[in-house]
Amino acid sequence: MQKLLFLVVVSTALILGQPTVSPTPQQAGTARGDNVGDYNITTSFETGYRFYTVDGNGGMYRSNVNLRNGIRLLGGSVTMNSKDGKGRYFDEINLTLQGLGSDPYQSVFLRMQKNRIYRYDFLWRTSDYFNPALSVSNGRHFLDTTRQLQDHDVTLFPQSKYRLFFGYSRNLQEGPGLSTVQYFDSRGDEFTLFANIHRLRNEYRMGAQAEFFGFGLNVLHGWENYSEVQTELLNSPSPGANPNDRVSLNSLQRIAPYQGSTPYWRASLIRNVGKIFQANGHFTYSNGQRDFTLAETADGISRNGAAANRQITLSGTGNRPASTGNVTLSLLPSDTLTITNHTSIYNIRISGDSTYREFNGGIANLALLSFQYLGIQTWSNQSDVSYRISKWIAAYGGYQHSDRRIRSIQYRDLERAKGLVPDEQTNKLDAGLFGLRFQPAKRFRFSIDSEVGRTDHPIYPISEKNYHSISGRAQWKTNRLTVASSYKTNYNFNSNALTAFSSRGRNASLNAVVAPTSWFNLDAGYSKIHLDTLSGLAYFQSGQLVTGNRSAYLSNIHAINISARLTLKKRVDIFGGFNRVQDVGDDRPSSGTSIPNTLINQIDSAAFATFQTFPLRFSSPQARISVRLRQKLRANFGYQYYGYNEKWITLQDYNAHTGYVSLTWAF
Amino acid sequence: MRFRVSIIASAMTATIHKLKRLFAICLLLWMADGQERPNVIPTKSLPEGYVGNVVCRGCHPNVWQNFYKNPHYKSVAAGLSPETSGCEGCHGPAKKHVEAKGGKSTIRAFSILPAKAALNTCLTCHAKDINRHNIQRSGHTQANIACNTCHSIHKATTPKALLSAKQSELCVTCHASVKAQFAMPFKHRVNEGFMQCTDCHNPHGAAATVTRMSVRQRMMEHSQGNEQACIKCHADKRGPFAFEHVAVRVDGCEACHSPHGSMNAKLLRRPTTFTLCLECHNGANGFGRSTTGIPTQTASHNMADPRYQSCTTCHVRIHGSNTDPLFLR
Repeated sequence: MQKLLFLVVVSTALILGQPTVSPTPQQAGTARGDNVGDYNITTSFETGYRFYTVDGNGGMYRSNVNLRNGIRLLGGSVTMNSKDGKGRYFDEINLTLQGLGSDPYQSVFLRMQKNRIYRYDFLWRTSDYFNPALSVSNGRHFLDTTRQLQDHDVTLFPQSKYRLFFGYSRNLQEGPGLSTVQYFDSRGDEFTLFANIHRLRNEYRMGAQAEFFGFGLNVLHGWENYSEVQTELLNSPSPGANPNDRVSLNSLQRIAPYQGSTPYWRASLIRNVGKIFQANGHFTYSNGQRDFTLAETADGISRNGAAANRQITLSGTGNRPASTGNVTLSLLPSDTLTITNHTSIYNIRISGDSTYREFNGGIANLALLSFQYLGIQTWSNQSDVSYRISKWIAAYGGYQHSDRRIRSIQYRDLERAKGLVPDEQTNKLDAGLFGLRFQPAKRFRFSIDSEVGRTDHPIYPISEKNYHSISGRAQWKTNRLTVASSYKTNYNFNSNALTAFSSRGRNASLNAVVAPTSWFNLDAGYSKIHLDTLSGLAYFQSGQLVTGNRSAYLSNIHAINISARLTLKKRVDIFGGFNRVQDVGDDRPSSGTSIPNTLINQIDSAAFATFQTFPLRFSSPQARISVRLRQKLRANFGYQYYGYNEKWITLQDYNAHTGYVSLTWAF
Repeated sequence: MRFRVSIIASAMTATIHKLKRLFAICLLLWMADGQERPNVIPTKSLPEGYVGNVVCRGCHPNVWQNFYKNPHYKSVAAGLSPETSGCEGCHGPAKKHVEAKGGKSTIRAFSILPAKAALNTCLTCHAKDINRHNIQRSGHTQANIACNTCHSIHKATTPKALLSAKQSELCVTCHASVKAQFAMPFKHRVNEGFMQCTDCHNPHGAAATVTRMSVRQRMMEHSQGNEQACIKCHADKRGPFAFEHVAVRVDGCEACHSPHGSMNAKLLRRPTTFTLCLECHNGANGFGRSTTGIPTQTASHNMADPRYQSCTTCHVRIHGSNTDPLFLR
């Protein structure tokens, strides 16, 4: 029956669609709502049943999509507006719901306000986060958690010169997971642990804004509290991931509570009233501190085949005070000229210590005091000029200088730390910007932007060193037709005597929206995203250090989307589309075959050749039909297919059919 | 005597209550900056060139009919003068427009207004908002993107920010390559409605740089403490940790992750972790905190053995650890 329904839906749709199956956007009933007393009320709810079938890797499906069977409140909205703007307790209530029931992504948004007295915003979101045992961790890590996010914000006297702010945010992540531990030493074996995850962040904030003598002063003070209690267990004896060695564990218990607070201040001074001169400053200070402890007990067989047990206790503190500030001065001598100078400073100091004690076989074996200090200070100044040369052409240019200093001290065991010289690294960036804007006709515009930058000491081999970026955009826009295209390149070359890194990214896209009538529109787009990188490598292979090898990565992604909406006699709405993203990699027919000649000289190790590209296809056609049954009642049907297909490693592939049947009711 | 005292006492109590109430009302009125002013300014007090909202309703009833649902109606309800409220607050004095019986050239019509003029009109009221104080130097303004490119005052589809379309559809009309990234199998759930572009970006212009040194900050919206936007949701990655993975603090999350979407699991920039890690951990001179290179792994790691090719199997706390400088637990 379900397959028959799929066929009916698909055959009715002209073209198939691109976003995730979601509530039908069409509202039932009149948009103007009903008048009750001094208020106008509009309500709309869409409720129905969602269903799915998956063929293939269900874990990967849950990671990517995760729509399941069941009854849902797919979407809903309630609005109440006072008609004269002088409601007794409120002038506006706006409630929006999505996916309530057990959809993987659920949200509630509420705004309530009384003009000039208060405004309250509430946002609640939850996501069902499923992370299967992916190959990136050898298939041994797993998460099945829910994450709930809440934000409450109250503004008193929102239209006044004097405003007060109060807010509260909560972020909770809970659920089971799998982690790993290596025992009993760095040549030991890996063991899978069950992890019970509980992470909670609470943030409270209050502030005020005042306007006086053309200035605006905004001050906010907040407190963030974070706690994490993660227990990890191995309840039954395990031979570990490598059955050929003698290492095994009988049991392991670990608990590692971690908690602390981050109070922060933010102050902003704004002066935007002047027509010629404007200025603003923005300063923040936060001081994060976390305390932690860990207790771990394990027993089993060591690499030498001897019985072993180990207890570890550990405690310590991490601190991170961070100060930031920026000042922007803008000069606007005429309507055609804007000169801006922007200065910012970012200063962060991270210090942490931990006391580590290890007991092997009940005998104190190791006691270490570890300490790490990391200080990062970045100073940046940018000046730019924007000038409108004529009605149809404008230009801008800018120059930026940044200076970053990183200091670091780290040691284990205080005795050895005497006389230790801190590490220090500085990096300077000089960058130039230039762009042109053209608008030769009212409906046509195009622009070119460029940036060139040079740094003297990038901290990583992949960091920006000698880079440039060029991009262009063109757009033709009328009431019935919009055509937009863009092209962007990002090149970075970062090399020295021993290694070379180059990264070349090129994006091109073309998108068109056609709406010739009120009852039909068509949206189509194509994007090409290219990235190739070349990196120097050094690694150990069978105990020997291999240097001078290089790794080349190539990604060629083609993405296409097309969707259409059709309304028939104001009674039936049809939406459909097709979406496909495909990484064709380096065009090799399979992972086992030789790599193309263009890359053959760039990859020196066969061990890396397999991983230089990752061909993959992901497509998701979709169709939705909404039929008006009565003035305030609609019936909706939706279907979406998801196909995930890796070219070389097919273990994670899946095909999924999802859909829903729902009623949209306005009352 | 006792009776008289009680009368005086009750009178004093009543007076105190009245004074309290009066004080509260005065405070409210002062803070609300004149809550109870009339809706319609008498014609005789209209400034030169202004006609008042009532006149506009005559020819534009469709705009006026639902205008009470518009956030801008607050100015009308408050009874502010026409220069700062209702139709003429944004469209300017309408007397010539009325006398000419319409026409875009006789009034401030946003459809033909230059971008900068449109921006300046909106900033007359909205400049005081803290998240817009860098709009004059933002990338959007430099690209001649005016407020009404994204916001539709009279035909908005989102009541909160009066956007002309849902954020997930609106932003990608220009940023088409980002649309492709959100269609990838591993992505942040923007199309699904779980989050919005503005959770991470400030389209009105960002404040200070937080990580990285270059100009291209992509209008990132920072956390309240001015840290990377990512930690607003990924609170467990914030720290501070006793042992930080320096890359996270110096080059930011983007050093390893593609934030919009990726063809690789966990939004990583490479399909496997060891190629990602080894591109930095190659010991090349000139890099790292001490400029002696980012350390390579030890001889106990045999990269020909697949068990060593998934670095995070053992280095589980790769974003930062309190217990181990090598992020092992």
